[in-house]
Amino acid sequence: MVILAVIALVLGTFYGLSGLEFTLFDYLASHTDYILYATMVLVGISVGLHESIVEQMKKYHLKLLLIPMGIVAGSLIGGVICSFVLNEPMRESLAISGGLGWYSLTGVAIGNLSGAEYGSIAFLSNLMREIISFFVIPVIAVKFNYYTCIAPAGATSEDTTLPMMIRYTDEKTVVFSVLNGVICSACVPAIMSFCYAAF
Amino acid sequence: MEILIFMLIGVVIGRFCFPRKLKKLNEKMQVFMTMLLIFAMGVMLGRRENLINELTSLGVKSLVFCLVPTILSTIIVYFLTERFFDKDKKEQEGE
Repeated sequence: MVILAVIALVLGTFYGLSGLEFTLFDYLASHTDYILYATMVLVGISVGLHESIVEQMKKYHLKLLLIPMGIVAGSLIGGVICSFVLNEPMRESLAISGGLGWYSLTGVAIGNLSGAEYGSIAFLSNLMREIISFFVIPVIAVKFNYYTCIAPAGATSEDTTLPMMIRYTDEKTVVFSVLNGVICSACVPAIMSFCYAAF
Repeated sequence: MEILIFMLIGVVIGRFCFPRKLKKLNEKMQVFMTMLLIFAMGVMLGRRENLINELTSLGVKSLVFCLVPTILSTIIVYFLTERFFDKDKKEQEGE
């Protein structure tokens, strides 16, 4: 799976760099929403086939919030550390680390608010978070526990990194992963607004 | 939000009308769709102007901004889930 992911990423990047234009590839690249929706239906089918999952979810209630809270706290503490280590402003450091892997939003938003350099760092660092997640999820699933696989993925745990959860964890963790992604995605704009209002 | 709606549609299909014998095919389709998503992400990256320049000039700083928050998130979530979700881990091991 990881090897396939690397091959797909490399092929896509080379195709994008080459400047070639194939209708099918261009259509796919510009309609990722539809691919994602189709994937989600397939994921939903897997969850639906797992009969006891609804009963299992009922046990959790507020505990569901612990994972996104841990992700946001860890990311923001990381932003504070980066600010001191790299000698960068606290506002931009927190905003970049608070992107939680959502590179498309943070790259554009921070670029508009703080200039192209910080926009590029936000884009690259959050993109790296997503790509690194692909590779560490299988390792975390074996060495730590299934739930921890959601942590590196951050806001992407509901979409691009979700298939890795499906492959390497269980149906219950997949549902946690989707809910975590929804909560983290809602937190990102709030974190960014807070950073630019408070600092 | 749309993502949740599509997933719920899938859950209903899986719960009530999806043939169990097609479970493996469904898993293979998920892998295929994932590869399409990753490929599309690569295309988007390759089409980004100045990608190579950005990587060479800001790559190390971006990597630090990626690694420190990611590692800390992972550590905190690990301790939280070990503390509050411990029974489920044992269930996983018992399965």
